[in-house]
Amino acid sequence: MYITKNGVKTDKAIVLDDMILTKDMPTTAGSRMLEGYNSLFNATVVDKLTDAGYEIAGKANVGEFAIDVMGETSHFGAVKDDEGNLSLGSAEILKKEKVKAAIQLDVNGAPRRASAVSRLVFVKPTYGTVSRYGTVPVACSGETVGVMAKSANDCLEVLEVISGYDAKDGTSLPADMIEEAGEIKRVAVVTAFDGSIDDGVKADIDAFVKTLEAKGVAVEKIDGAGLLASKTAWNILMSAELCNNVSRYDGVKYGYRTSDYTTIDELYTNSRTEAFGDLLKTAILYGSETLSDENYMKVYDKALRVRRVTVDYFDSLFENYDAVLMPATSKKAYGEADVKDMAYEENLYTAPASITGLPAVVAEGVQLVGKVFSEKALLELVKLCKEGE
Amino acid sequence: MDIATLKRLEKLNQLALTEEQEKAFLEFFSKKEKEAEALSEIDTENVERMVHVMPIMTVVREDKEIKNFTRDELQQSAPETTDGYWQVPRLVE
Amino acid sequence: MKYETVIGLEVHIELATESKIFCSCSAKFGGEQNDHVCPACAGMPGMLPIVNKRVVDLGMTAGMMLNCHINRTTTFDKKSYYYPDLPNAYQTTQWFAPVAVNGTVEIETSKGKKNVRIKQIHMEEDAGKLVHDDWTNTTLVDFNRTSVPLIEIVSQPDLSSAEEVVAYLERLRSLLRFAKVSDCRMEQGSMRCDVNLSVRPEGSDKLGIRTEMKNMNSISAITRAIEYEVARHIDAIENGTEELVQETRRWDDVKGKSYAMRNKETAGDYRYFPDPNVMPVVIDDEWYDGIKATLPEFPEVKRARYIDQLGLGEYDADQLVESRAFCDCFEEAYAVCGNAKEVANYLISDCMNLLNKKQMTVDMLTLEGKSLGELINLVTEGKVSRPNAKKILAVMFENDINPAEYAEKEGFIVSNDTGKIEKVIAEAIASDPKAVADFKGGKEKALMALFGKCMKELKGNCDPQTLREMLIDAVNKQ
Repeated sequence: MYITKNGVKTDKAIVLDDMILTKDMPTTAGSRMLEGYNSLFNATVVDKLTDAGYEIAGKANVGEFAIDVMGETSHFGAVKDDEGNLSLGSAEILKKEKVKAAIQLDVNGAPRRASAVSRLVFVKPTYGTVSRYGTVPVACSGETVGVMAKSANDCLEVLEVISGYDAKDGTSLPADMIEEAGEIKRVAVVTAFDGSIDDGVKADIDAFVKTLEAKGVAVEKIDGAGLLASKTAWNILMSAELCNNVSRYDGVKYGYRTSDYTTIDELYTNSRTEAFGDLLKTAILYGSETLSDENYMKVYDKALRVRRVTVDYFDSLFENYDAVLMPATSKKAYGEADVKDMAYEENLYTAPASITGLPAVVAEGVQLVGKVFSEKALLELVKLCKEGE
Repeated sequence: MDIATLKRLEKLNQLALTEEQEKAFLEFFSKKEKEAEALSEIDTENVERMVHVMPIMTVVREDKEIKNFTRDELQQSAPETTDGYWQVPRLVE
Repeated sequence: MKYETVIGLEVHIELATESKIFCSCSAKFGGEQNDHVCPACAGMPGMLPIVNKRVVDLGMTAGMMLNCHINRTTTFDKKSYYYPDLPNAYQTTQWFAPVAVNGTVEIETSKGKKNVRIKQIHMEEDAGKLVHDDWTNTTLVDFNRTSVPLIEIVSQPDLSSAEEVVAYLERLRSLLRFAKVSDCRMEQGSMRCDVNLSVRPEGSDKLGIRTEMKNMNSISAITRAIEYEVARHIDAIENGTEELVQETRRWDDVKGKSYAMRNKETAGDYRYFPDPNVMPVVIDDEWYDGIKATLPEFPEVKRARYIDQLGLGEYDADQLVESRAFCDCFEEAYAVCGNAKEVANYLISDCMNLLNKKQMTVDMLTLEGKSLGELINLVTEGKVSRPNAKKILAVMFENDINPAEYAEKEGFIVSNDTGKIEKVIAEAIASDPKAVADFKGGKEKALMALFGKCMKELKGNCDPQTLREMLIDAVNKQ
């Protein structure tokens, strides 16, 4: 049982990452800009959970606007696990406390990476199946609210609670548009990433393949080179959207305001310069540049077309397979030095599901990406693999 | 990208980088530029751009006024207000 | 040398909706500062934009009224810039696929008729309002107007004089008010106009340097601004008084001058891109046809019909077509009573007076045309007297009443009870023998005192002609 701050004993405790807005707790998005910021409303997922009898245990630290490798850019400091490796706040709480699950906004794959290195289960459901109302917007065209837990069962339980149509989210899918995918019987293993992953990750993939085969799932190796372009395309889309979404933080309405200004431009520039970290500044400037008159067609519009190419590529894979198995990380663990300047690199493995909105499940250190609406089937597959262990 | 372009980009985005940050960004950008160029090898001639990953559906709401928030609530975390206005330095038009 | 002026207009029109374009805050004009605001239109994170359907309805309506092609799939895009009246530092507008394109508007000036081409109409959100306080050297920000829905109507550079610009604006105003798209009140800012202007030697096919002028809030200010700007351009070209540059200028109507706006290095660099949170709006046939069916007759078509078919005079017809509300009421009332002249009289004199008393505009008329028609029927059938009909009309202005029932209840029905009339006449005669004597002595006017007394006693519910005849009869019998 988990005991909340208010002394409530519960086996339904939930942690929220600090991208999920709550009325009675501050939401910072890991940024000095929003230090102490209180939202006037709850995210839909928060209301759904409390309505269903879950208790919000607290908020967990994230990297600034959740675009980094694994929380290392948080204004409030990185989180480390017991071995001194990087972790995410949610993952550490899950490992140490009796909480049921953590709700996270998967912007750039950090929850997936954290689950992989922490041997937790994370489900990033199909885009549009869980409301984004009340999440700090960063890369709206692909970011998705997901669930991290110790087991696929817990993920399934909590996912069921937070899923569903929400009229307050214009990209929320009505029930009649959702057709759940069937059981996963055929899995393709992508080899295109083999060159960039370490032996530990390779071993995890091999072990998972063996388990799948032992459970009677057909496994086949494929090249999967069509997934390699996702990283660049997603970096473009994510940065452009981020640049626009964080432009609202200007020191005027709420949040951090510099004390060093006399003109409005000084107020804007100094507030943002003082409050934003290096990675965020890089992302803003990069994103802005992809939208310049000179670059728009060449870079931004191209990335939108590559998104469709990638969706089509996945569709072609799904003609023969029910899911695609690939790494979620290049490493079994990240030291601080491993993540420096890596936010735009380590998402090589998470970008394909981010840019397409397809569901992804991380478990046993590996990642499964499935067809639309296959998140439950993916979790069932993980359950099956764990049976008899 | 040259430094003048970067300076302009900083201004456009209300950011001021240190010299060191500028150097790092220029490096980062040239790397990203090369990656973006690699995308051009993907044939997208007859591919429509994809903004939304979901099926296209019209999402509209009825024209109905709902008031859920008060001015005081909205300004509770404001750095500076006067008489219910947010306040900034005098603008020159 | 002779010069010609080339003008294109960008006209912003606030749409007549109850709520804002992407959130449910009130879109009404005015209100206490920052009272029509929510986290979304205060630039706070987490709320997501949901398009107000009425905005699309009105965008389409405007497009159809201006003979545009309607884009059946219309999308929203984000335009980024920093300014304190823009809480998100982006404006959601339509850059790639505006709701309407390629229209025309016919205008008429002293030089005759002319078509002005419309490039496009796009839907977007308005910015907030800034109040500059010189005393404290601060600027105060009010987000009430933030996200109020607008359409921007962009013309081709087809206009060549202030007169044409005025005719074009008047025409837009008339058409859009008629279609209930907006009240188009320049003084309240619900119709605003940016003027793109350049000057070139007559007959030249090369465009001159173009300037954009903002901040004109009346038709007369626009005229003054254009005249000033044309003179400034010609002066610069002929006398080299200054170097013309492509820039945005602000019109100061008090000083009668235009000024270059602080030219930011980054001005005009908006980094547009499609809004991932707003799905494309797909206008199907049902929606399209539904809007098409609500389009009003053009004002001049109505005017001609009122004159030619319903026999109204030109003055009456002109008065009615000033306002769609008057036309609707007129047509509904006419359908009930079939007396066009009578309906027009009630609307143009009595209703106008009532509106003036309440300081309401013609568009604010809410009178039920059917009820007005019924009231007129009561009068023409002799059941209610004219003065009482006016009293009933005043009540109809306030409340939704059935005139016949109300007249019955309040005792406004003309009495046919000759016994009662005779009794009232007898009492009046008895109470004023002098008047009787005077009338009999040839003073016709003396009868008025008796007539008035009877009418008062009968609460006006008597056919005046009948009363007059019966009264004369009775007096003569004395």
